[in-house]
Amino acid sequence: MRPRKKGAAQHAIAVGWLVLIVSAALLAPWLPLPFPADSVDLNHIAQPPFLPPSVPDTSRHWLGTDGFGRDVLTALVYGARTALLVSLPAALFATVVGTFLGSAAGFWGNSGLRISIVYWLMGGLLLVGAVEIVSTAPSAWWLLLLSLAAAVIIGKSLMRVPMLRRSWPFPTDRLVLGAASLLSSVPRLVLILALAAVQDASLPGIFLLLTLTHWPEPAHLVRAELLRVRTLPYIESARAIGLSGGQILWRHALPNAWRTARTAFPLSLSALIGLETTLSFLGVGLPPEIPSWGRTLAAARLDPTAWWLALFPALALAATTLALRQLTTNKISA
Amino acid sequence: MRRLLWGLWLYTFLGLLSACNPQSSTSDAVRVRWVRDPESLNPLTIPNDIANQAVGLLYQNLLTVDNQKQEYVPWLAEKLPMVQHQDSLTLLTYRLRSAATWDNGQPIVAQDVAFTLKVMNSPGLPNEEARARFSFIQDVRLDSTDARQFTLVCQGRAPEYAYVSGEYPILPEYALDPQRQLRTIPLAALTQPTPVSLSKYPVLAAFVQRYNAANLDKSPMNLPGSGPYQLTAWRNGQALTFRRKTNWWADRLPVQQPQLLARPKQIDFQIIPDNATALLALRRGDIDIYPMVPANEFNRLRKSESGRQALRFYTADSYEMVLAGFNSSRVPLDDRLTRQALSYLFNIPALIKATQNGMAYPSVGLINPQEKAVYNDSLPLLTYAPQQAEVLLRQAGWARQSTGNWTRRLAGGQTQALELSITYRAGDAAFETIALQLRNAAARLGIPIQLRPTESTLLLGKLRAGNFDIYLRTLSGNPFAYDFSPLLHSASTGISNFTRFGTPTSDRLIKAIVREEDLGRKAQLLRKFQVILRTESPLVVLFFYRYRLVANRRLTNLRVSGLRPGYEVMAIEPLPEG
Repeated sequence: MRPRKKGAAQHAIAVGWLVLIVSAALLAPWLPLPFPADSVDLNHIAQPPFLPPSVPDTSRHWLGTDGFGRDVLTALVYGARTALLVSLPAALFATVVGTFLGSAAGFWGNSGLRISIVYWLMGGLLLVGAVEIVSTAPSAWWLLLLSLAAAVIIGKSLMRVPMLRRSWPFPTDRLVLGAASLLSSVPRLVLILALAAVQDASLPGIFLLLTLTHWPEPAHLVRAELLRVRTLPYIESARAIGLSGGQILWRHALPNAWRTARTAFPLSLSALIGLETTLSFLGVGLPPEIPSWGRTLAAARLDPTAWWLALFPALALAATTLALRQLTTNKISA
Repeated sequence: MRRLLWGLWLYTFLGLLSACNPQSSTSDAVRVRWVRDPESLNPLTIPNDIANQAVGLLYQNLLTVDNQKQEYVPWLAEKLPMVQHQDSLTLLTYRLRSAATWDNGQPIVAQDVAFTLKVMNSPGLPNEEARARFSFIQDVRLDSTDARQFTLVCQGRAPEYAYVSGEYPILPEYALDPQRQLRTIPLAALTQPTPVSLSKYPVLAAFVQRYNAANLDKSPMNLPGSGPYQLTAWRNGQALTFRRKTNWWADRLPVQQPQLLARPKQIDFQIIPDNATALLALRRGDIDIYPMVPANEFNRLRKSESGRQALRFYTADSYEMVLAGFNSSRVPLDDRLTRQALSYLFNIPALIKATQNGMAYPSVGLINPQEKAVYNDSLPLLTYAPQQAEVLLRQAGWARQSTGNWTRRLAGGQTQALELSITYRAGDAAFETIALQLRNAAARLGIPIQLRPTESTLLLGKLRAGNFDIYLRTLSGNPFAYDFSPLLHSASTGISNFTRFGTPTSDRLIKAIVREEDLGRKAQLLRKFQVILRTESPLVVLFFYRYRLVANRRLTNLRVSGLRPGYEVMAIEPLPEG
């Protein structure tokens, strides 16, 4: 009985902290914070926490200020908002993309998905066209959509030719694993720093970067699960009654693998929050005016004696990461 | 026992071996903190003050500045030039020092100066700034009886010509043009206002190709100078090591002159971008000199017992300023009222307190307040006045919308929003504080300003291309010359006039200041120029730094001054340890 009780308490604390962080993030603009986000108080530069204001009729900086005069409490609250705005959508999108690719790779392998010659041809032409458009006129992306629609229509009509109806296997597993290995072969931080260097800092930019580099992890998990699921008897039965591969995958196999992705989701979220903090600490990825825990941590470098600049954001980050890990632990043990 | 003896012998041998190491010991070397890489050591380009300091170790100008006396002194030249006027021309006659030689023993002669001027004016080389700065030098006349004597023929008259005409590194003709082919091309042919075509001079085209192939940006060792040091190592982003030449020509002079001293046997410039790391390195004794210590740390170190025991502290009122420039070619900033309005949003006293801990001083413009004779003290210092800014914005035709933002109608009927960005060197805490303060003050007024911290290697390109709204940068001045042409003359737009400002009146005034020989009239013109600068507001001088330098106690004779870089590295005497 005792361990269960202990686990429940930890779970409650973890959930409580996450609820607090999410509430603070969502309600940040309406909270009675004494200072607006990213405002600077030049009269109180690097002020330690809990001290009364040195200038009369000004608000107190409860958790101190950084070397630019920014309020640490405000930075923590708005930093939580940034972490949520960046990491949550990126973790969700990476999980969806990873699940889609991992499940297709695991279920179909290298020979399970066969594509008729017509669509191979259309796909090849589309690829060449896409490369041409991207290299010569990136603004004409809408041409790609038109070409896609045209390829589908032309493909359907060409399917009447018997020779073109023949199909070749599509190496789904090899392609997905290859792409994932390619991304994993370069350390993620190095890859993100390199990509961030060639594009301007922005919220959508960092979201895309995090998604692009994080999808291989859920993909690997889901693929492994699908490799197991596809050999189960109920999948054999579904094949026997003549259901198509797509139907079996989406309706019968994927729901069994989804649990794995769902369990790993808090871990993904925690990893991405850590990564976003690291990037902000290094001063890349997010525009400098957007508050973040990493940016507050980075301010400690300017003033090594300002312990509060390291302590409070580090506590917030550690507590959030531990809470998310606690959620995963509970799910696994359940 | 035998093994022990062998061990002792080996230990002694290794000890002796390390003592014979040609690398100098720590006590011989002076280790200086640099905040970043010099980017290029090409003597033609010299992109920043750090590069300027390094180039000064490798090459020599005709004249140099005695920082402490704040006056020009001869360096490669024997004495200051003899000035003569001939109609609209100024003739400056120099003679090079008789003892001055290149590393190979060949004497430095007037032909080397003529060669340098040709390189500075040759098309196809990265010499735009040098060309613009020394455009007044039209020709060089060599003395047929004395190989070391020459006369510079300068267009117009200006007292500053006597000094500025000697402010470029003299390059060795033998190293770059061993066949002496450039001697066939007269300098006057290259200094014409219409650019010379390389196809007209195949010899020049071949030379340009050779010069560019030498990759002097990163390999200055391909072009040995007459300076006392040679670059022995450049670890990109980490350190540069300069080693004293054993056969430097000035060592043979019978009397040592202060400007020809080069005491440290080795100078290591250690590139430490992060202030906290640099401070740690200073405390550990890994660096000896830390220029421009952050103000808070300077005070903290000065108050600490351990700091006082190990270090010496120096301050000097400098001629280096922090300024904000407006891109006057961009539509929201192309009228002076908008620029004036934005000037009122800088809280300069608070910024001085916050970023420099009070160790800086404000000014009404580009002229240092210490230069009382020419400083226009009738102009008030800029104050933080958002209400005044609002009034000026309305006068400029901007109207505040219900959303809080500002818009105005353009001539074509389109509506334009007042939205800006501010560009500055990434990683500079003072710039970031200034940018955040402006953004904050502007946001309260309904003007959104985006922060654009930019890597220093990209910043110059952006400024030259005019790809910014507002920029922040530091600028080094001096008390000798008041030539604002590189900074604010319309002819320098896209080269060094980043604000792209320039009206016929201001251009005329800038040239008149340069030409004026009478000190009283010059002061009047300079005062007028400060008024124009305030009215037109192409840039706002936020403050002048008070230099803060911390050095290891074992170093003496730093000759600290307010002129860049604030100390004379070649004059430093490291005391023996112990």
